[in-house]
Amino acid sequence: MNPDLDLSIERIIRAPRKLVWDAWTDPDSLARWWLPSPMLCRVDRLEVRPGGAFVTRMSTDGTEFVPHLDASFLVVNEFERIVFTNSVDSGWRPASPEPVAMSAEITMVDHEEGTDYRILVRHADPAAKDRHAELGFTDGWGTVADQLARFAENVR
Amino acid sequence: MAQYLAELDGLFLALADPTRRAVIHRLGRGPASVGELAREATMTLPSFMKHVRMLEANGLIHTAKSGRVRTCVLNRDQFAVVEGWLAQQRRLWQEHTDRLENFVTTHKGKDPA
Repeated sequence: MNPDLDLSIERIIRAPRKLVWDAWTDPDSLARWWLPSPMLCRVDRLEVRPGGAFVTRMSTDGTEFVPHLDASFLVVNEFERIVFTNSVDSGWRPASPEPVAMSAEITMVDHEEGTDYRILVRHADPAAKDRHAELGFTDGWGTVADQLARFAENVR
Repeated sequence: MAQYLAELDGLFLALADPTRRAVIHRLGRGPASVGELAREATMTLPSFMKHVRMLEANGLIHTAKSGRVRTCVLNRDQFAVVEGWLAQQRRLWQEHTDRLENFVTTHKGKDPA
């Protein structure tokens, strides 16, 4: 893990691992939590196997759906692990997705209180991708955010 | 992206003034009335209100009127906009996990297994 580019999340979810797995791999279930409400989600393709397509669309009115995710699965270990990336689209074409290319590794392990759920997201370097664009401020960006956080440090 | 950048423009404009920064700094310690803030800024109330409106328009603070007193509160969410891209992605994944957790802990009865 590269702390400058990657992020990890760990959560104990109070539900059986199979239920968490099903929430990820059943299209109707996925559609119900994949996007924040009031956004509506349509799961077009959810082929949970290595190389399988992962395509979701979103809508604000339920009639017109626009692209949301066009990705492919890299690794699938049933009830244990899902890895997908948006840097290769569902047709296996190399992609340059917005806002940044990433691969996400989801792991689930039994825990006495339910499921030990972990996410590791590995990102491409957004600075490299956007070097041509207006994001010249990326270099000083961390500093600005740090200074603002320090300035408002009593915000917590 | 364009909308995000426009939002940032507004935020930085709002933050590019010492009076307004002082308000943010003060509200970091807790809510305060407009009158109290104006006194600390040694400014007349009408001039000070312009700063309050600008901060509110850019979402950095919320205000609420109760009787004759308008109270200002820092809007912590908006600080997330000025965080780096990685922190933003982290927040999205956290929210994502919140939704999954909520889904699987409230739909147990529907598990066919």
